[in-house]
Amino acid sequence: MTALHHPRTLTRITVTLYWGCIVFGLTLPGIVTVAHDSYRRHGAWAEAIQDFRLHLFAPGYNLFLVGVLNAIPFVLLAVFLLFHLGTAATQDPAIVSRRLLGVAGAVAVAVGLSAWAHLGTTLYPDAQGALVYLFLPIYLLVLIPLGYGCGRLIGKVARGERERS
Amino acid sequence: MTPRQIGLHLGGLIVLIGLLAGWYWQSTGARAVPALTGSLKSDDAKVRIAAAQALAEIGPVAKAAVPDLLNQALHDPVLYAGTTAAGALRRIDLVAARQVMTAYLPALNNEDVQKRRDACAMLEGLGPVAKPAVPALSNALNDTNETVRMQAAGALGEIGIPASLVIRGLAKALQDPAPTVRHRALTQFAFSIPPTEAVVPLLKQLLEDKDRSITTLAQVALNSPLRQAKDRTAVYVTILQMGSVNDYTLRQLAQFGLEAAGTVPAVIPVLKHDRPLFRYLAAEVLGAIGPGAEGAVPALIAALQDQDIVVRDSVAEALEAIGTPEAHQAVTTHRRIDGSK
Repeated sequence: MTALHHPRTLTRITVTLYWGCIVFGLTLPGIVTVAHDSYRRHGAWAEAIQDFRLHLFAPGYNLFLVGVLNAIPFVLLAVFLLFHLGTAATQDPAIVSRRLLGVAGAVAVAVGLSAWAHLGTTLYPDAQGALVYLFLPIYLLVLIPLGYGCGRLIGKVARGERERS
Repeated sequence: MTPRQIGLHLGGLIVLIGLLAGWYWQSTGARAVPALTGSLKSDDAKVRIAAAQALAEIGPVAKAAVPDLLNQALHDPVLYAGTTAAGALRRIDLVAARQVMTAYLPALNNEDVQKRRDACAMLEGLGPVAKPAVPALSNALNDTNETVRMQAAGALGEIGIPASLVIRGLAKALQDPAPTVRHRALTQFAFSIPPTEAVVPLLKQLLEDKDRSITTLAQVALNSPLRQAKDRTAVYVTILQMGSVNDYTLRQLAQFGLEAAGTVPAVIPVLKHDRPLFRYLAAEVLGAIGPGAEGAVPALIAALQDQDIVVRDSVAEALEAIGTPEAHQAVTTHRRIDGSK
């Protein structure tokens, strides 16, 4: 049993991933908006944050709802990983590794795709850009399980390589 | 993790969702009015603008913000803050919106060019509520300053009613020597004002304009679905029947006049809408249809009791335009009662 498989470490990882996913999903659109706005204003963070606050519930912007929409797949992923990793500690260390890799793949896909979509929409805005906010959660819900599968697959391949050598 | 630990984290998530829902509830709708009214007093123009836009979205339940919006529309040093406040007033309180119109109308003849431009912009912000300003704006198309003429054309397009006067003014602007004025007038025909047959020759002339953007826009106006569709009102009827009433739809119908006679059954329920702007525009549509809207007379007579005087006046005008004896009788009685108040 490695340090990673120690119940306390695994619990810490699970809790960090759980709340990290929720907070990241909720705040990513805001972080991207504020960072981009601040870059445009040559580093005026305070003004960018004030603008963000003004547009949180403003008609035509609704940045709060954009955050909530983005958070939906992240919350579902968080709940899944809470049960998936949270109940793994009592099982075989091999199962823990496999689940950790699967969850890592799912988180990587969710974070990567979401960040890419929000950056793209902010950097290259157009009239239909806001549709991304509606479709992104659906794409994420489809791709997160794929990311999980990829993580498990990578683990399996790596394990096979290790056993051969 | 123990089941208790997992349960605690799930509970935490539920609490977070509850807090977010509470925050959203508190920050939207009528609950947000006091905070937004406070923001209208901010030193930062961006905050004042955002607050006015949010209040406009909230609509008539933001009535408590009217004095501050009125103050912003009449006195704000930043023009855009003033026009957004005017835009909010038209969605909240028609009487206050008309007060803004009355305050800015004399400025159309001010010696200061900037004041004349600002007046045009403010009247544009008021949209269809500034209907009584149409003759003055048509005169402003003779202004010596090109920007004033351009903004007057934009204001006429945004007000949009009465269609005959607006189209006459915009047709004149199509022949303006300044390309910016022609461009602004053409934009109205391309996207919001249905071009009449009388305007078509002018649009065709502009296909030969030296300015390329004008020729392109003239082509757009000539191909506009507002001109070419067989039944131009059908889409707007569908919108009304779906319950998604909006000022653009009603203003378009008001511009079609008699052609919109088939829309009367869809327009009548709007006379009872909770937004005074929509009730006002519904009366304008029926008035523009005229005798073809005879079926709306009972509903219009009932609407003479509307709590908003601007709506009542518009309803009375609509009844006069329909012109049945019953309608005339109702208007005469209404004028006597309203006058004695």
